[in-house]
Amino acid sequence: MMKKYFEELVSGIETKLQEDPENKSPRKAFALEIAKIGTRLYSDTNQKCWCGIATPFDLLSAMGVTSCFVEFVGGMLASTETAGNFIETAEHAGFPSDACGYHRAVMGAAFDGIMPAPDFLIGTTCPCSGGLAVVENLSRHFKKDLFVLNIPQQASEEGVRYLTNQIRQMVKFISDHTGEPLDENRLRDTIKLTNQTRQLMNEMYRLAQQVPSPANGHLMGNLGIVLPLVFGTKAGVEICQIFKDTFASHVKEKISGVPDEKLRILWIQNRIQFKNPIVEMMEKEYGASIVSDELNTVTWDPIDPEDPYPGMARRAISFPLNGPINVRIKHLQKLAQEYNIDGAVNPCNWGCRQGTGARGMIANGLKEVGVPVLNLEVDCVDSRNFSEGQLRTRVEAFIEMLS
Amino acid sequence: MNNKSRLIGFTCAYTPLAIIKAAGYIPYRVLPVGEAPDLAGSLLHDNLCPHVKRVLDRAFAKDFPDLAGMVFVNSCDSMRRLADAWQIVRPDEQVIRLDLPATVDDDSVFFFAKEIETFANTLSDMNGQPLGQEQIRSAIVLYDELSATMKRLKAVTNSGANIGGRSAIQKFYNRASTEPVEHLIEELKQIIEEPKSTKLDGEYVPVFLFGNVLPDPEAFSFFESCGALIVEDDLCTGSRLFNSTEMDLDWAKDIFIQLARNILSQPPCARTFDPKNPDKMVQDLLYKAKRCKAKGVIGYTLKFCDPYLARLPAVREAFRKAGVPLLLLEGDCTLRSIGQHQTRIEAFIEMMG
Repeated sequence: MMKKYFEELVSGIETKLQEDPENKSPRKAFALEIAKIGTRLYSDTNQKCWCGIATPFDLLSAMGVTSCFVEFVGGMLASTETAGNFIETAEHAGFPSDACGYHRAVMGAAFDGIMPAPDFLIGTTCPCSGGLAVVENLSRHFKKDLFVLNIPQQASEEGVRYLTNQIRQMVKFISDHTGEPLDENRLRDTIKLTNQTRQLMNEMYRLAQQVPSPANGHLMGNLGIVLPLVFGTKAGVEICQIFKDTFASHVKEKISGVPDEKLRILWIQNRIQFKNPIVEMMEKEYGASIVSDELNTVTWDPIDPEDPYPGMARRAISFPLNGPINVRIKHLQKLAQEYNIDGAVNPCNWGCRQGTGARGMIANGLKEVGVPVLNLEVDCVDSRNFSEGQLRTRVEAFIEMLS
Repeated sequence: MNNKSRLIGFTCAYTPLAIIKAAGYIPYRVLPVGEAPDLAGSLLHDNLCPHVKRVLDRAFAKDFPDLAGMVFVNSCDSMRRLADAWQIVRPDEQVIRLDLPATVDDDSVFFFAKEIETFANTLSDMNGQPLGQEQIRSAIVLYDELSATMKRLKAVTNSGANIGGRSAIQKFYNRASTEPVEHLIEELKQIIEEPKSTKLDGEYVPVFLFGNVLPDPEAFSFFESCGALIVEDDLCTGSRLFNSTEMDLDWAKDIFIQLARNILSQPPCARTFDPKNPDKMVQDLLYKAKRCKAKGVIGYTLKFCDPYLARLPAVREAFRKAGVPLLLLEGDCTLRSIGQHQTRIEAFIEMMG
């Protein structure tokens, strides 16, 4: 099912691009590459690895392994309106509805044979306990070896050293499973591409900060969380280049992402992954443009191609959802100021202890910089209890208050 | 900063209590007990585990003594959020975070040893007194003695002596988590050595209890009222906190590395696991249940506890395959929530009786 979905997505986008090669929109380029990753994950010829979110995907790419974080599958199933069946499967297997919807969907998909068996797995302790547990459960289900990266909470000297050592061991673990040693030259080239992507991300995000913003909720959705999957690849550079060029052109021509931009919104953490009218309603009916998502950001320095592991370690530790909440709040405050944010929306994903857990502190932190926050009660993956009318009313009231 | 208090608060069974003791402080576990008003929701989402919320409610209500500081182990998402909220609710107390690896290998031991060393230095700075290896070793020996004494007390109880049932042991666990332990060890030794003439009344089914947080002694009386005698436990408010494998201290080696290895080798809670053997937790539980000759096993876990929520399906499956009766209960640390399961517990016990 998913294999067919990804193949049709790739061919559909490629056909459109062949018909109109000049119209390669940023989102199309992004979707095409993600769909290609999907086809590789579901093919029988690639080495595959299911991962935690903080995995250095560029390193796996340099070692010829197609890798993806498991929550991606949960989001994908939700976007295709199929997550509900798999969530029910997981619940029947004993995973309660109090757990994260992403993880329930992934486990159900694995039980129902929708998740391709990986060659091995890499779990990460960041961002959440549940994410690590689901990778452990997948390891048990598929009877495949698991490696765990413990992501320290802070970028202390000891913390960076600890994670750097683990990454070195991870390379050995991967080599042992692929039968191929790491090609140092290939890794060096990969890191150079990662750094190029990073640079372009910085530039495109800076352009998105302009008033009016060339960005909108559709363009920016899930971008920062998914882009690491193409780090270290030419495709990653190309996607960000198209984003940057498109934004630059729109800024120059004063084309805003949402016509007649009236309000600028920051979206916190999760998008609601299944079809819903909230973003479109905000933008079309109220001119409230989602100009940034919390994870649309660059929090790390360029990585040294000659000695990349410490840089990769620092990058993982700098993930905004890692560490004490005051780090995350400062990050959100910085985004709010850089993007001239009027208000923030926090869809408190039911079952997310690490992100949603701190909602009161996040709201207080953004209030300090004059940004009100709307906390929504929603499961971002499980649409079975989605109450559209209730959410619409709350969002409308919030927007009217901002206006 | 309140420098008068000699108490260092903690909430997690992975806390290196010997370091607190060695630094001249008394470890004080902020247990999720009492009737503090429900205020945690003002900072934390309601879907966080009741342990964390009730501890934060207590912090809001100020219903425990002043603390010199509070140490939080990075055990799970909810505990990290509690540490964040603590700084807001009790800004005068120093919050110390200990980063605990989820897996155990030499690198993890080394990293955690550095964390413990930093913790020791922080306490030493707070106290204004140097903290030497000799003090740490003495404290480790003291806590080893406490663990050994608690084990002996349980053995005496399991041999049929009536010291007040399993609830009495839980009271000692709670005291050992909140009081200086020297006097307590002596008290426990006296109890162990006193001749016991009475046995618990009635017929009981021996049960192994595992899970996370259950500090209320009355909960154990309640199990007994249902016909279940808890002969062994694997709880973070029970044996897991005082169940360190006796440390064979090597005076020539780094004490922090030895302590880190010891703590990481303790019976793990669900958040710590062996990636080379994801079934290890299940295997350990089955082994413990058989070792204590339990006829059945009760798992008591807290609502919204991700580490357990994610692993219980595998536990259930393994127990089914092994033919060991298992009853899983979910609660919120309170006796009230366990009481709601009375019929299920009684039926479970009857089935085995």
